[in-house]
Amino acid sequence: MKRTGTLTPVLTTVAAILLTVIPMPDALAAWRPHWVALVMIYWHLETDNLRSLGAAFAIGIALDVTTGTLLGQHALGLVIINFLVGRFRNRLRFFPPWQQALAVGALLINERVVQLWIIGLLERGWPDWSWWLPPVTGMLLWPWLFLLLDALRSHRRFAR
Amino acid sequence: MNSSSAGDRGTAFDPVGGTARLMFYSLLAISLMALDYRGQYVERFRTVASHLVEPIFWAIELPFSSAQRIASSWRDRGETRRRIAELELESAKARARLGRLADLELENAQLRILLETARRTEQEFIAAELASVDLDPFAHRILVRRGRTDDIRPGMPVIDSHGVLGQVDQVLVGMSQVILISDPDHALPVQVLPSGERTIAYGSGSLDRLRLTDLPMNAQVNPGDMVVTSGIGGRFPPGLPVARIGLVQRQPGQAFATAFAAPLSAMDRNRLVLILKTAPQPGYDASAGETSQQSASGPDAAVGQPAEDGVAAEQPEDDSVDGAEPAEDESP
Repeated sequence: MKRTGTLTPVLTTVAAILLTVIPMPDALAAWRPHWVALVMIYWHLETDNLRSLGAAFAIGIALDVTTGTLLGQHALGLVIINFLVGRFRNRLRFFPPWQQALAVGALLINERVVQLWIIGLLERGWPDWSWWLPPVTGMLLWPWLFLLLDALRSHRRFAR
Repeated sequence: MNSSSAGDRGTAFDPVGGTARLMFYSLLAISLMALDYRGQYVERFRTVASHLVEPIFWAIELPFSSAQRIASSWRDRGETRRRIAELELESAKARARLGRLADLELENAQLRILLETARRTEQEFIAAELASVDLDPFAHRILVRRGRTDDIRPGMPVIDSHGVLGQVDQVLVGMSQVILISDPDHALPVQVLPSGERTIAYGSGSLDRLRLTDLPMNAQVNPGDMVVTSGIGGRFPPGLPVARIGLVQRQPGQAFATAFAAPLSAMDRNRLVLILKTAPQPGYDASAGETSQQSASGPDAAVGQPAEDGVAAEQPEDDSVDGAEPAEDESP
């Protein structure tokens, strides 16, 4: 496996942050997946990029500043995701897509639990059932996102 | 961004080092959250970082605002005409009401001279459009399209046509973040009318209610009462409508009664908000939170008066509407 440049992962991460704050119709807003986590998981699984927990932390802080949450709130979630991906990386890589999607869904649900815990501690209001929709969307989107990012990556590799 | 350990690809995951790093970063994140929650310790970092991400906001904002501009320039002529007629009618009605208010204002000013109390200062305000950026729904913040270039300062009150919305928190170059009064960190010195009872309205974490604590058990506070800003603390001018009392709890055994109030402003359904340009009062401290300013309710000349609606009587300044603002979302 060749090491890809840093440019593509950085650009896709920025795009993911954009997608996180882009306005959506109210009906769809609750379904908005955790784009940043999905992109980060891809790069961690498939390449050397965004592999360290420090990178996950930095991305999380950037996301916190952008969305106006407490500093560290998303960072904690992303660090935990990145740790778990690193732990099970060798297994996850050889799963068929649907099984990988299930695993990614589990990671996202876990992240949601962490966020729920933080929001609960802060007494910022208790979310309703729609809180659990984003992991579902993320799981359904995963195979397609995987193919898309794969295409992007190989395109860049051959372009040089 | 890149992990420098490219060489260890293929080697097994190092569980000990990995766990240690996980602990380290988790603790870092948690302590950062605690610092951010507890006060102003990381404010400087947040300010710098917010400026770094402002291009992201603009990257989202620009396509939306240009799309709006195009849509409004292509709008059907008949529809525009109908809309103008509607607005003219509305403004005529409003002007009629304003005429009466101007009369009252004059009378009030004369009475104040007789009473030798401080004259109410004219409120200046800036109209600001909401940016097309969805912040975290649990962050109780909104982003508006006015920033340092428009002379916005942190702490300026933000209102909409119905009542107080919040205050400016972070000021970027062309945008600023507004913290809503429903944020649990936000405290607003208020007065309940008609009884004149003064207290603090805390955010409850949900958009549709505020918490009024520290009310004396025998306070004259009833459901349906109006809550207005009291002006104590000097950040919000007195008399702005805030909320309407919904539920009053007087639990036996407790020293104070608690009331819940529903905010009047349309927290998450606004397109246009107003930022009040308040002159900094003597003793105004930009870094102090509202809570620390709840001075004892002494005989304060400007405060004890029941509200006159000081806001509605103002004419917007030159920059009230950008001209390209689509009108659909304001129709009833």
